[in-house]
Amino acid sequence: MESGDAARPGSGRATGAPPPRLLLLPLLPLLLGRGLRVAAAASASSSGAAAEDSSAMEELATEKEAEESHRQDSVSLLTFILLLTLTILTIWLFKHRRVRFLHETGLAMIYGLIVGVILRYGTPATSGRDKSLSCTQEDRAFSTLLVNVSGKFFEYTLKGEISPGKINSVEQNDMLRKVTFDPEVFFNILLPPIIFHAGYSLKKRHFFRNLGSILAYAFLGTAVSCFIIGNLMYGVVKLMKIMGQLSDKFYYTDCLFFGAIISATDPVTVLAIFNELHADVDLYALLFGESVLNDAVAIVLSSSIVAYQPAGLNTHAFDAAAFFKSVGIFLGIFSGSFTMGAVTGVNANVTKFTKLHCFPLLETALFFLMSWSTFLLAEACGFTGVVAVLFCGITQAHYTYNNLSVESRSRTKQLFEVLHFLAENFIFSYMGLALFTFQKHVFSPIFIIGAFVAIFLGRAAHIYPLSFFLNLGRRHKIGWNFQHMMMFSGLRGAMAFALAIRDTASYARQMMFTTTLLIVFFTVWIIGGGTTPMLSWLNIRVGVEEPSEEDQNEHHWQYFRVGVDPDQDPPPNNDSFQVLQGDGPDSARGNRTKQESAWIFRLWYSFDHNYLKPILTHSGPPLTTTLPAWCGLLARCLTSPQVYDNQEPLREEDSDFILTEGDLTLTYGDSTVTANGSSSSHTASTSLEGSRRTKSSSEEVLERDLGMGDQKVSSRGTRLVFPLEDNA
Amino acid sequence: MERQSRIMSEKDEYQFQHQGAVELLVFNFLLILTILTIWLFKNHRFRFLHETGGAMVYGLIMGLILRYATAPTDIESGTVYDCVKLTFSPSTLLVNITDQVYEYKYKREISQHNISPHQGNAILEKMTFDPEIFFNVLLPPIIFHAGYSLKKRHFFQNLGSILTYAFLGTAISCIVIGLIMYGFVKAMIHAGQLKNGDFHFTDCLFFGSLMSATDPVTVLAIFHELHVDLDLYTLLFGESVLNDAVAIVLTYSISIYSPKENPNAFDAAAFFQSVGNFLGIFAGSFAMGSAYAIITALLTKFTKLCEFPMLETGLFFLLSWSAFLSAEAAGLTGIVAVLFCGVTQAHYTYNNLSSDSKIRTKQLFEFMNFLAENVIFCYMGLALFTFQNHIFNAFFILGAFLAIFVARACNIYPLSFLLNLGRKQKIPWNFQHMMMFSGLRGAIAFALAIRNTESQPKQMMFTTTLLLVFFTVWVFGGGTTPMLTWLQIRVGVDLDEKHMGIVGLDKNTTKAESARLFRMWYGFDHKYLKPILTHSGPPLTTTLPEWCGPISRLLTSPQAYPNQEQLKDDDVECIVNQDELAIHYQEQASSPCSPPARLGLDQKASPQTPGKENIYEGDLGLGGYELKLEQTSGQSQLN
Repeated sequence: MESGDAARPGSGRATGAPPPRLLLLPLLPLLLGRGLRVAAAASASSSGAAAEDSSAMEELATEKEAEESHRQDSVSLLTFILLLTLTILTIWLFKHRRVRFLHETGLAMIYGLIVGVILRYGTPATSGRDKSLSCTQEDRAFSTLLVNVSGKFFEYTLKGEISPGKINSVEQNDMLRKVTFDPEVFFNILLPPIIFHAGYSLKKRHFFRNLGSILAYAFLGTAVSCFIIGNLMYGVVKLMKIMGQLSDKFYYTDCLFFGAIISATDPVTVLAIFNELHADVDLYALLFGESVLNDAVAIVLSSSIVAYQPAGLNTHAFDAAAFFKSVGIFLGIFSGSFTMGAVTGVNANVTKFTKLHCFPLLETALFFLMSWSTFLLAEACGFTGVVAVLFCGITQAHYTYNNLSVESRSRTKQLFEVLHFLAENFIFSYMGLALFTFQKHVFSPIFIIGAFVAIFLGRAAHIYPLSFFLNLGRRHKIGWNFQHMMMFSGLRGAMAFALAIRDTASYARQMMFTTTLLIVFFTVWIIGGGTTPMLSWLNIRVGVEEPSEEDQNEHHWQYFRVGVDPDQDPPPNNDSFQVLQGDGPDSARGNRTKQESAWIFRLWYSFDHNYLKPILTHSGPPLTTTLPAWCGLLARCLTSPQVYDNQEPLREEDSDFILTEGDLTLTYGDSTVTANGSSSSHTASTSLEGSRRTKSSSEEVLERDLGMGDQKVSSRGTRLVFPLEDNA
Repeated sequence: MERQSRIMSEKDEYQFQHQGAVELLVFNFLLILTILTIWLFKNHRFRFLHETGGAMVYGLIMGLILRYATAPTDIESGTVYDCVKLTFSPSTLLVNITDQVYEYKYKREISQHNISPHQGNAILEKMTFDPEIFFNVLLPPIIFHAGYSLKKRHFFQNLGSILTYAFLGTAISCIVIGLIMYGFVKAMIHAGQLKNGDFHFTDCLFFGSLMSATDPVTVLAIFHELHVDLDLYTLLFGESVLNDAVAIVLTYSISIYSPKENPNAFDAAAFFQSVGNFLGIFAGSFAMGSAYAIITALLTKFTKLCEFPMLETGLFFLLSWSAFLSAEAAGLTGIVAVLFCGVTQAHYTYNNLSSDSKIRTKQLFEFMNFLAENVIFCYMGLALFTFQNHIFNAFFILGAFLAIFVARACNIYPLSFLLNLGRKQKIPWNFQHMMMFSGLRGAIAFALAIRNTESQPKQMMFTTTLLLVFFTVWVFGGGTTPMLTWLQIRVGVDLDEKHMGIVGLDKNTTKAESARLFRMWYGFDHKYLKPILTHSGPPLTTTLPEWCGPISRLLTSPQAYPNQEQLKDDDVECIVNQDELAIHYQEQASSPCSPPARLGLDQKASPQTPGKENIYEGDLGLGGYELKLEQTSGQSQLN
């Protein structure tokens, strides 16, 4: 961001209109607000500063002003909280009445808009009290200034640079300035919980089944959509230039940047409706997975586009070196954040070796701190914290979650749910507010119309061709109606907004910001409201309890039961094969769906199951069996005692299962819980009881939305049959 | 050239943002270490070091490392600008540096002698938070949690004593400490260690008031673990919670006290202004906090929000937070408002929440409390080394140690004596000694002291406060278990069934202390407030006079009617017989479907009870006790 600006000498940096409103999240001063304290020499000799435009006032005025500003901060924060309270109450009303045309986020935006209007037109414009100093000696700005005012020293911190033309605009309505937050707040405080929550709740069976498609949509799709939107917008900009509607520069990189920020889809509204209506799980998993990973890609993409600065002065020319540098930056940041997130997520395996689960509070706190550290660490290393947090969330859900005590599971889940809920609604109500309180909107109808066309074309060019290619590889095709639905649910939300508001210094960026805001409004209200009709129009199945789905899942459970059943003599190898073959047609059907997870995924699954799971959790086969003999010592100390109980049944069957079924990891994830729960009990009935208990708790998170209750029953039924057959 | 410099300053900014991440990371790391250590200690049942003590130790170590292991970085030297034309300091400065206009924001005033230390270590500077963070971010959850968990049966039983200790006791202790410290300051001036005129009597009083905020979190944790006598627990807990509120407001009004001419002379007008301030702020904050809690109670009562626990939790959290913000916006004390908001929320709103939300809110605030508390204690450890303007004055520190002991003694013993005149169940000597002993200082004293460290006396106070907190938390906190055995205070109370029975019989005698005023309050609370704000209590239609029938019908929730029968007849007598029945009722009320109180055993077995108990008496394991109580109430009715 910084370097990008530095490359453009014409444009000033921060505009001064959004002063950091620190109170809200007074953590912020720690993160960013605190100026580098450039100490000042006590030598009061240099008299380089000459004051102009000073009026005689009381010295005490400043103290009072500080107090006053604190009070105003409280008021502006209070405004937001009241907005949120109102939103919550209205949401309740809507949920109560089952009104589906308006999601809570849409509602938050409406309330934000109303308050924005009131603030804009209902409050008198106050004059700013800024004084201008002319400083002749210094050739650069310090971040802290000590000013000697008639014997007293006052400390000032640097807030930002103001381009000379905008000085007047700073002195505008004070109240509007108050309710404008520092854009970094979004990145450092509001987005991380949202993204972490998304990652943490990503652990759904269907996510891994569709991993290939999701990755393709997220990476390739975002790139495609970014380029198409960028190019279309460049055309629009050219057109505007011809028509003389452009009053400032607008480069191709700016267009690409716009393409990147607008590629971050956020179908929170659609997903909420899917969730409620139990729409098809595959569709849900595809959309959710895409949108989550999408965000990460868009963030990194936009920051690497900003980093693209050709060596020459001509920003239009294509510079291969700079281009490859940008690509390198993209890959570097992405993989860096990914590793950071994954490693710290994995690091949380302290939960495995300590018996922390006796103290859920400590466990929860540790979990929270670890996840937060990931964010900070990534930021400190210059990676993208939000991306790191996303992968941290996924890893935590995959490994750490299994080690937590039951209480901590619900605690962490609820904690992040509340944080997510608050942060999300806050952002959306801020969006509503920003339409009126942001003071430098640039409305350009052509650009806006062009953007609308571009995002639809971009979305179409992203979904249809990719789906076509994916369908070549997939056995279980993505149907046309699914594709239409995915095309339709290209909503834009919090991430696009946060990326757009991050830098609103130049003319081009301001226009982008305005356009993004309007696109978000439009998509959330219109498309979000149209989801239910669209679903019925596209004939997408609603209420998942279809037999095919059921059967399939039932068979997963069956395998897994056979695989881990700890309370009986393990069925001999060929026996289990028999069982599998007995299920021939069904298992074939299962396989068909899974075929898409290709060889590399299967490899990863077996690695995960054989090495990572046992190292990081209490589940999986003991390491002593999976690792080669020469690292036996290491294996012994890394294997948790609980694992040995499961050893017998697991060892024999693992290999076949891993080979036959790509997505067994998931079932193993579940089975661990069961194994723990039932390892102590040795009669079938008690273990049943135990497994039901633990399973239902784990299910709660895994498949909270799928309503798989009866399926569970049936799977238990099948499971009971096996041991009997064996014994007979 | 120009462009380079601009890139430079942008890089600076970029860097300090990352530095911010690093600082926070240090704290995160410290907290993680603390958590692991706590776990180890808890696992091995070490009681000599509480988690807060552990956090301080880690903070100290980290401070030591930062202080001596990092090289003092060479910071660019700025200049002090002499603004000839500027006669005041505006809130925003626009500085024009070779045609680039930079905006500067006013941060604070720096007194002259503080300027030079600024050239020290940049990292140390960075590790120093803005003190307002304590008041705006870290303390509110701690205080709210304290208020929210104050709802214990014994609290109301001992309300009179607790209020006396909190209000009178804090005032006494403030004045005693102030006077003693004033004596020491005078002596120091004689001994030539202090310039005359630096240290006013108001400064001493200020020190006294901030030192009066006790925070026996360590002691309470141990009590909790060992199941120490409930009355003692309640007295200490209640005192320390209310204490904080009193101390904060007191400190504020003392700092406002500014006589016209001579700061040492007594100025009646200014004094009464301060007193008025104290009362006004306290009452205002109290009203603000309660008002928000009442709004929450009404909202949760009349909407069926309990179908969506997440929304309910969100609403609860937001409204409690707005209590803080509104109080701040109105110029009152947010923390005090939040405390009373917590108490009221626990008393009314809690009953309206769904059982899921009950657990959620409790866990959420518990979690926030835990983190905030450990951050503060960590920071304390760190501040000993990273704060750059420490003034260690051995004489003053010794004086302060002496003063707090004397003041604590003056607070506890005379007040206990007076209270014992009125109480049927006396506060025995060993309880008094224990209370005297557990006058630990903690987060509030620290936050109050760090709020203003501009002048030299304030810096001296800050250093002294820090040392006092260290000493009391480590020594007193560690010595709690030996002290308990030495004073022969009963431990493991709840296991003693027989004792419980006795307590149950003693009930009436213990309660005599709550005087007529309290009984009136209970009656009012039970008859009007509870039915209006919660689903419990008798329906308003029966308690309100005839002429406000429509209102009462409107306000009574449908669930109240089923209870009507059973409640109506035993209410009157019970309220008269037993003033702490209000509590009893509300427990009954939160399980309206369960049969009347007499079915003690069944009720205990009913599924709601454990969940409820969890918060009501989370620590005390009062199952058996409750049973007895219900029997007693039955008996009292038979009589």
